Amino acid sequence: MPCSKLNDRMTLKTRRLSRFRADLHVHTALSPCASDEMTPPAIVRTAMAKGLDIIAVCDHNSAGNVEAVQVAARQQAAQSDGATLAVLCGMEVTSAEEVHVLGLFPDLEAAHKVSDRIRGCLPPADQEYYSFFGRQSLLSADGEEIGLESASLAAAVPLPVDAVVSLIHGAGGLAIAAHVDRRSFSVYSQLGFFPRSAGFDAIEVSRRLRAESELWKELRQLGLPVIRSSDSHFLDELGTAATELYLCEPTFAELALAFAGLEERRVVHA
Amino acid sequence: MRLAELAQILDLRALTPGTAASAEEPDSEVTRGYASDLLSDVLANAPRGAVLVTLQVHLNVVAVASHAGLRAVIFSSGRLPDDEVIERAEQEGLVLYSSQADTFNIVGRLYELGLRGSST
Repeated sequence: MPCSKLNDRMTLKTRRLSRFRADLHVHTALSPCASDEMTPPAIVRTAMAKGLDIIAVCDHNSAGNVEAVQVAARQQAAQSDGATLAVLCGMEVTSAEEVHVLGLFPDLEAAHKVSDRIRGCLPPADQEYYSFFGRQSLLSADGEEIGLESASLAAAVPLPVDAVVSLIHGAGGLAIAAHVDRRSFSVYSQLGFFPRSAGFDAIEVSRRLRAESELWKELRQLGLPVIRSSDSHFLDELGTAATELYLCEPTFAELALAFAGLEERRVVHA
Repeated sequence: MRLAELAQILDLRALTPGTAASAEEPDSEVTRGYASDLLSDVLANAPRGAVLVTLQVHLNVVAVASHAGLRAVIFSSGRLPDDEVIERAEQEGLVLYSSQADTFNIVGRLYELGLRGSST
């Protein structure tokens, strides 16, 4: 059951669709640039307090903490009045051109398949790396550090954008062009244009992009769903941007239908 | 050539007054340069002690420049980093400059002044 308050939900009786609020781009302390406060229990608690129904854990080049956040969400659901937070498996891959691509996956197995493949391409991290880029904490569901990721997650993978999208699709995932309105690490900043042939399933913008802007209008012309995410690296960023969706339930399969605009599932474009 | 002298000849704007080299500092001699807008490339290939010329102004530039042991970064085409980047650079002892000239012209001038790229 999603955790939205009843008065926020609009139910369409014929298709039993409900409106869900999702933040599909949240980092944990595994990402070197994210705060140590981004632990599984804190992320779940904060996301629920901010009225989110769904989050996707998307650390740089790794799915190492996804399961911990999922377990933390189940633990919090067991302790609460049944309200739950759906936690989807994801990661934010840095392509060879330094374009950030979000991958959302149907399950942990798919996410880890891609995570392991990418990890094999990254240079090793050392103490000097951690001191300049940040710790890369592998965490338990209780938020305890159980180890450090030994690959340099801040590095780029030697795969161009098209190949990253193919890798994500090969694992049954959805590929999203991340924060395209940012002036770095976006398709526009790195390539100068939107690569229509790459096969993206959706486009992500940050909280800063206004719906009245020229870029928003241009993006809507591309024929792909446009989602809004917080890209949270700190707890207080959670909930600052979210995507509204009509789904039957808060799952990856439903999200895939919504991105494709099938069977009345859809992304709400405000 | 000393960093401060280089900055004066190229009319660079110093962004990190706290760490800007003075002509008197013996360790501010610069002999190498690198130009790239892909930070993964800088990390892998820039020679230590080099001056980097780049358009990229985000915070990762400081981490990459520090990790690669670079002496200074020149942001080309008038691009300016925000305050957080400047503060972090000062903490790391990294010198930042801004130039109105584009990368090609800056690199050309640096080469004329005797700086060279990686040894092959």
